[in-house]
Amino acid sequence: MIVLILAAVLGAASLASAQTTDLPTILVTRQLAERERLAVGDTVQLAREADGANPGTFRIAGIYEPVPDPMRLGQAPLEIRLHLPDLQGLTRNPATPVGAERVDQINITLVDPADAEQFADDINGRTAGVFAMRATDAGGSRETFLVLERFHYAIATVTIIAATVFLLALTIMLVDERRETVGVLRLIGLPARRILMQVFIEGVLIAAAGALFGLLLAIACESLLNRFFQWRYDTALVFVRISPRVAATCVAIAVPLGAAATVVASWALLRRSGLRLARR
Amino acid sequence: MSALPSSTIVEATSVTRQFQMPAGPVFAVRDLSLTIAAGAYTAIQGPSGCGKSTLLHILGCVDTPSSGSLTFDGQDVARLRDHARSLLRLRQIGFVFQRFYLLPMLTAAENVELPQAEAGVSKPTRLERSRELLEYVGLAARAGHRPSQLSGGEMQRVAIARALANRPRLLLADEPTGELDQATGEHVAALLDRVNADGTAVVVVTHDSALASRARRVLTMKDGRIDRETTA
Repeated sequence: MIVLILAAVLGAASLASAQTTDLPTILVTRQLAERERLAVGDTVQLAREADGANPGTFRIAGIYEPVPDPMRLGQAPLEIRLHLPDLQGLTRNPATPVGAERVDQINITLVDPADAEQFADDINGRTAGVFAMRATDAGGSRETFLVLERFHYAIATVTIIAATVFLLALTIMLVDERRETVGVLRLIGLPARRILMQVFIEGVLIAAAGALFGLLLAIACESLLNRFFQWRYDTALVFVRISPRVAATCVAIAVPLGAAATVVASWALLRRSGLRLARR
Repeated sequence: MSALPSSTIVEATSVTRQFQMPAGPVFAVRDLSLTIAAGAYTAIQGPSGCGKSTLLHILGCVDTPSSGSLTFDGQDVARLRDHARSLLRLRQIGFVFQRFYLLPMLTAAENVELPQAEAGVSKPTRLERSRELLEYVGLAARAGHRPSQLSGGEMQRVAIARALANRPRLLLADEPTGELDQATGEHVAALLDRVNADGTAVVVVTHDSALASRARRVLTMKDGRIDRETTA
């Protein structure tokens, strides 16, 4: 079944008691069904014109959750899906001969989305006058998301740099609080390398624990944030996703950074003599 | 005090320690030569600022002379890298300070155990050694107490036990009775006598004449130099 998305609802009215089995069928979005209190099996009338003239009668065969579109965030997807002949019959100008209609755009779902590029090349090579492209490339949405992605990278980079400075300052303060202990250890005869190694191990453990805590917090918040915004915008769009790759990246950045901050802070301390440190 | 000086442990030759200060260089120790023999008991006296503690720190390899040479067991300390110097301190030299410098988060036994652990002593051996040492300083019953739960005299005795943990050849004490009352100071002084009698060379820096008088050799410093030396 080739399905077209009708962007606007032409008109809808429930005809609950009509004999419906031989009527053409449509699918309606969950949002539209909720707003108009429609249910599977209901019949509705759709018209091309806003005044409802020349309506067609259809039976609702199903209610579907539309594919979330971040480009239309905040707009309730009040849509229906019709079979192509029904759409043509509904929208054709009576003066237009059958077969002379024009279709601007068709969305095609492939079994394997990874074939999209190959499929588009195939279509473009075979059919003159048809231009196929990936849905994500259509309407400039990809460029929009590239800009957004770069913006996110910029925010992430600034956040990491600021967090590193903060972490280093915090670590220097924490290490400085232990200067007397470090001084005593140096006086007893612990080599600087040995203390540095201990501090490094401590730094790695604390950073790993911190990263783990951060991940658990993010995972806990992931569900809450998604639920809130999905409720707020009435969409199935996923706003936050902590994927294994994201988690691994976080740990890969946090642990070396935490350990390095601890070692840098400790190194500054260990360059001083044990006596000066112990005397405070 | 049965042990007698025999072989040399530390030898300082023409040692000078100079500190750069905003008002100009200050000489804490000037062209000083000194030998500490195994089993010796030496006290260093003198007015404040005469360089006693600086000399002790140089002898203990925690400070480096600006000029001159220092040998420990025949090794030129200046040629040792930081790691080797640290291990020398860990295994051959025990330090006792006026302010004890015990680690507050560790118990008395753990404080004594720490240098042994760092020296690679096995757990059962160091537990036994820590128990022995705390018994030696009369604090076996306080093994599980943290420094904050101990009196000043008790803390100093734990510090002495810690200093002896790796059976050092040289024990250096910087004003060990400086923060203690007379009776407690006497107790600590008697303990140092006993340590020396058991064969460890002791060098003590002190203002306390009573403590200094226990040593067989008393050096009096003035302006960074040894002004007078008396031998019992």
